Amino acid sequence: MSNTNENHNEKEQVHISGYKEHFSTLMALLLLTVITVAISVFGADLRSLSVFTALLIATVKVIVVAYYFMHLKYDKKIYTWLVLIVAILFVSFTVLTSIEYLNR
Amino acid sequence: MEHTSGFSLPNSGHNRDAEASKMGMWLFLFTELLLFGGLFIVYMVYRSLNPESFLLASFELDVALGTFNTVVLLVSSMTIAMSITAIQLGDAKKSILLLYTTLLLALVFLVVKYFEWSAKIHHGFFPGLDVYENLPPGESLFFFLYFFMTGLHALHIIIGGIIIAVVIYRTKKGLVDKDKYTLTENAGLYWHLVDLIWIYLFPLFYLIH
Repeated sequence: MSNTNENHNEKEQVHISGYKEHFSTLMALLLLTVITVAISVFGADLRSLSVFTALLIATVKVIVVAYYFMHLKYDKKIYTWLVLIVAILFVSFTVLTSIEYLNR
Repeated sequence: MEHTSGFSLPNSGHNRDAEASKMGMWLFLFTELLLFGGLFIVYMVYRSLNPESFLLASFELDVALGTFNTVVLLVSSMTIAMSITAIQLGDAKKSILLLYTTLLLALVFLVVKYFEWSAKIHHGFFPGLDVYENLPPGESLFFFLYFFMTGLHALHIIIGGIIIAVVIYRTKKGLVDKDKYTLTENAGLYWHLVDLIWIYLFPLFYLIH
């Protein structure tokens, strides 16, 4: 990685994700979708569990999309850090307000 | 003369900066995430206040159609990611073909959404219609949030589709190629965000019974 951005002819080494990797990512996402739908449709007796599991599986799917499709795995680490900061900000706000509500 | 010959204004040329473009796109995506995040918090709070009503109302939605649209969006996410791979490898034709596929899947999503919405509106669940107005308070709120959040998401699908059409046009004209594919990359990032939001919308509205 060079720091100069004046010489446009000088190409930086970029990572190119393969078609196979994208296909595998899709398969993983479809599998997670099947699992979450199956839990919802067939696991009626797991009612209290299903809110948490549905959101957990959704979060795993989001991480997979961001990491592979959105290229965070191969990009500069600054993007991962920024995503984490935004995620932590949102989750901490949500959790902290919920705690107040649950402790009434 | 020696001193002035090496001088040029900092932004006198048409400088491309792929990294800065990508950073700009990500910063925009964060504002989008927080926009939908705020709506999710509204949903969460009202759901905890009206658990039974939200549960009853959520049974009105068609899980099969929701699942179908989830699969459509996931596949479209793959095709646009592959179109970036194609343009990076210098295969503009394949990139365009994959972008068309993504566009087609976006249309499929919207058509399914259209039928879902029309069925609900036909049965009077839209705000202002007779059935909606007579629903218990919590259930009408569920449908209001459903229409507002999926509507805002559908708007993003439409905007994403327009952006993809622009990428196709510019790739055809040769303005996007092996060395300049920032536009394709940023369109991809936007499209993945639309997918991410649906990944949360789907279980919250269709699945949590």
